[in-house]
Amino acid sequence: MHRLTAHALRELFRKGDVSAEKIAEATLNRIAEHDGKIGAFLSLFSERVRERAKRLDQKRASGAPLGKLAGIPIAIKDNMHVKGELTTCASRFLSNYRAVFDATVARLLEEEDALLIGKTNLDEFAMGSSTENSAYQLTKNPWDLDCSPGGSSGGSAAAVAARLCPLSLGSDTGGSIRQPASFCGIVGYKPTYGRVSRYGLVAFASSLDQIGPFSTTVEDAALIMEVLGKHCPHDSTSLSLSSEPYVEKLHRPFKMGKIGIPYRFLDQMNKEAKEQFFRTLDVFKDKGATLVDVDLDILKYSIAIYYIISTAEASTNLARFDGIRYGQRSSRAKTLDEVYDFSKQEGFGAEVKRRILLGTFVLSSGYQDAYYKKALKVRTLIIDKFREAFEQCQVIAMPTSPFTTFPLGAIKNPLDMYLQDIFTIAANLAGLPSISIPSGFSADNKPFGLQLLGPQMHDGDVLSYAHAFEKATHFHTKIPPLFE
Amino acid sequence: MEEIDQKEIDKLIKLSRIECTQEEKKALQSDLSNILNYVAELDQVDVSGIEPCYRVLATLKNVMREDTVGETLERELFLANAPSHVGGLIRVPPVISK
Repeated sequence: MHRLTAHALRELFRKGDVSAEKIAEATLNRIAEHDGKIGAFLSLFSERVRERAKRLDQKRASGAPLGKLAGIPIAIKDNMHVKGELTTCASRFLSNYRAVFDATVARLLEEEDALLIGKTNLDEFAMGSSTENSAYQLTKNPWDLDCSPGGSSGGSAAAVAARLCPLSLGSDTGGSIRQPASFCGIVGYKPTYGRVSRYGLVAFASSLDQIGPFSTTVEDAALIMEVLGKHCPHDSTSLSLSSEPYVEKLHRPFKMGKIGIPYRFLDQMNKEAKEQFFRTLDVFKDKGATLVDVDLDILKYSIAIYYIISTAEASTNLARFDGIRYGQRSSRAKTLDEVYDFSKQEGFGAEVKRRILLGTFVLSSGYQDAYYKKALKVRTLIIDKFREAFEQCQVIAMPTSPFTTFPLGAIKNPLDMYLQDIFTIAANLAGLPSISIPSGFSADNKPFGLQLLGPQMHDGDVLSYAHAFEKATHFHTKIPPLFE
Repeated sequence: MEEIDQKEIDKLIKLSRIECTQEEKKALQSDLSNILNYVAELDQVDVSGIEPCYRVLATLKNVMREDTVGETLERELFLANAPSHVGGLIRVPPVISK
């Protein structure tokens, strides 16, 4: 059963070939058997999912219409709320926090009869690119247990790559869905900013955060996006657009148009990654696409402005963790100031503290114009350059990451870790839809990812180009040997 | 752009209300200086006449709603997460000293 896509599993369930209870049991068994090797999950909803499955079987027996995700087990990154369950954000600060409401995404999934199975590991508050900043555990890459699954949504990526569940949710602020998808050899999708509601997602950097899925095929990503891509009155940045039939669109006749390649910007890559990337472009050429050179040299500044804007926003968003209403409160604190000072000291890890301080610095009086305002202006330039580029092409192709996965513990300097995100950050800065799909393997059998970006609201086009690539290749069918 | 000094770190710690050990302060000073040195590459970008980007979606506008009572959080569930509470209220250390 674990080899099935979400589509295939749903078909079996709809036809009555397998019960939801059996799917839930098989999923929990597979997690019990295999998760010890990779550490993808922080908590499991064992009782809840059994109960939901039983009710879903009754629903099917009654002949009531079944939802779009009926019987599909889905894991959720532990920075989104499921009412009554823990939301730790992989932080000590929230070790006992139980959600008092459902995130919109959790509600939408359950309304379509999905089976939510548990919460997955992440870098604390989604700050990191390797999942090593979790306060609780390391997550390992299913392709090589000594290596990182990427981050920050490393648990959700590893769970799908190891075929513990066919779908999971992540959040992507600077590449936190796409880079782990690339490292783990699966599909990861970051929708247009505003396409998916963030209500109930613990905010990191609000002008960049977006929720999206992991899957093993583009079709499965399109399926869950039909459910998630809805207007939500609880998120003021939610687009007031109706949902789109992404899956049906994938199966319409599709003619490849122009694909933009920022050749000069990509020049800095190492030889193997560069050769690999240009080989993947042949797949598009064979399918009739025309490659055009687009000027995105400005993206070389994207890391610098990202680490100004995202930390500035994080420093304000994380101010709510004050030890008063929920979460960690230091037992050493005697005064109100000490409640703040000591609770944050005890509750936050080193990376979170570093980013709060950096964000506080770039917003502080005397530095705001030189750093924060300047970054916002360069962000305008980046958005303008993308607009110009998309006048020449339908989508833009880039590698997802300049590297394949790296050994756990190998990157010690924070700045070196930030440089991981050089190709993914731009989509967040400009609010663009962007996907990472499996595109090959290195000489030492580690996955490469190909990234496609489209103009805002063109989520369907990005999925169509990705689907065409997937149909012409076989990389997405490969399962890590330890988990076959 | 200049190095960040220990005095500046102390100020940031106070502004962000995170107590730090001497060792943490040292590490923060070095990490933040490194990052700011990297960020200094932005000096090369000419942004004269460029407007700062305050919203990513051109279509975004302020969202208003009627001031009516909607769904609220359940008090029991909310208080269950509170580090300390009494009589349905959150308890904190004294704010004003005698």
